[in-house]
Amino acid sequence: MSDPANALEVDGLRAGYDMSDVLLGMSLHVGPQERVGLFGPNGHGKTTLLNTISKVIAPHAGRVLFMGEAIDGLPPQQIVARGLIHVAQANRLFPDMQIMEILELAAFTPRAQADRKANLDYVLGLFPRLAERRRQQCKTLSGGERQMLSIGVGLMCAPRMLMLDEPTLGLSPKLKDELAEAIAEISGRGIPLLLVEQDIAFILSLVDRMYLVDHGEISREIRRGGEVDHQEIMNMYFGADGAR
Amino acid sequence: MTADTISAILVSGIVLGSIYALMASGLSLVWTTLGIFNFAHGALMTLAAYVAWTVSDGAGLGWGLSAGIAVSIAALIGAGILMERLVVRPFYDHRDILLITVMTTLAATIFLEKGIQLLWGARLKQLAPIWPGKVELFRTAISGQEMLIIIVAPVLLGALAFFLRTTRIGRGIRAVGQNPDAARLIGIDVSRLFIITFAMSAVLAGLTGILLGSVRLVTPEFGAEPLVKALIIVIFGGLGSLTGTILAAYLMGLVEAALTFFIGIYWAPSMIFLLLIIVLLLRPQGLLGKVVR
Repeated sequence: MSDPANALEVDGLRAGYDMSDVLLGMSLHVGPQERVGLFGPNGHGKTTLLNTISKVIAPHAGRVLFMGEAIDGLPPQQIVARGLIHVAQANRLFPDMQIMEILELAAFTPRAQADRKANLDYVLGLFPRLAERRRQQCKTLSGGERQMLSIGVGLMCAPRMLMLDEPTLGLSPKLKDELAEAIAEISGRGIPLLLVEQDIAFILSLVDRMYLVDHGEISREIRRGGEVDHQEIMNMYFGADGAR
Repeated sequence: MTADTISAILVSGIVLGSIYALMASGLSLVWTTLGIFNFAHGALMTLAAYVAWTVSDGAGLGWGLSAGIAVSIAALIGAGILMERLVVRPFYDHRDILLITVMTTLAATIFLEKGIQLLWGARLKQLAPIWPGKVELFRTAISGQEMLIIIVAPVLLGALAFFLRTTRIGRGIRAVGQNPDAARLIGIDVSRLFIITFAMSAVLAGLTGILLGSVRLVTPEFGAEPLVKALIIVIFGGLGSLTGTILAAYLMGLVEAALTFFIGIYWAPSMIFLLLIIVLLLRPQGLLGKVVR
């Protein structure tokens, strides 16, 4: 599977909290410019996987390669500096800072600072609502606005690849559509994407390929145009008996 | 009450408030960023005064006041970094970091106070004033050094606020205080900013010590009383709010000056505590504090 052209390769990753592992040897890859989805019920390791890749938590075993280089031994700031950006789930960001302050701060690494002006224009063009509220404090934003800000923060980090964790969690259908458009526009620039979602229609509209996550492992891989077995998904959520 | 009395109370209140604001802002900065109280903040202040005395005074190295101040500030940067390394850093991942660091920083205080006593002895020291002589402010005569304190404190605190509001590192320090995990995800080296915060806080304590070292007599327990006042002020002003801390410092200075005048130096400290208890009963979050944390 190892292909140096891949944006991201995860091989046999084991990690968790305290003594128990949530990830039981997870392996997956994201090709160059590829958009990949991760789908599965809560508590099966999707968020833990992203947290382990970005080093919010430390892996117990396994390897992570980004652009062909091992990053599993690096501290989080160096992973960000290399351009692998994790947009965390329901991130409350920095409650007492203003939108503009947060966006400017997010271009923190030297590489991101060099692109700060261009990225800021891009983010404010993508989410005009953030431009309207530039002086507003983060804690006063609505759920949708905060989600836009989270993605904007990710873009200010000058991503070479984005990992988005449930960007539409708790949002209205109208806002979901808006965000889906924005995410499609971002990945249209050639930025590889790893997208975690619970909304099957949302995820299928955005990705080339999708992994099903089940109990800390990849249970199946679904290609675009390939058939989604609804029975299988039902089984994942409700157990084999409940879905009948 | 004559105009002279009012002036005397105001001026001495502002002098006290300036000292408290310098002292408490360093304590507040560390609380806001790291979520711990540094009980050794007072001992750092004492250390700065002794180092400045040794370098500047004729009984020490005799290199003059400017050299004393420069060496003392450099030493305090080192002391701040060392303290973070030794008594705070080992416990970052610990759930009870707040309680553990109460103990470790108290231990550092004892270590520093006794170490100072061992090195410099119990004899009282006093720094030469940076601004010698007397000046008159609103018809009240104060020492030049006290005038200097009144001027320097707002300048330093303004510079600190400007730094935290506008610079990359300053904004990073605020971000780390509000959400360290989110800060890591935008590429901020959180532990490096913790070190910078601790060093800045130590320098603020050191400057307080250097400024106050020619107004009061320097003993190994020189920083103890200012530390207690600074702790009260940080809580009184509201945890997590630097503006609240500074406001509370000046308020506390004025109240203390007024109480000392009206009921005497004997009862003033306990009255201040009574006032704090009343304020916290009515506003548990302090003057400008946030409810969360």
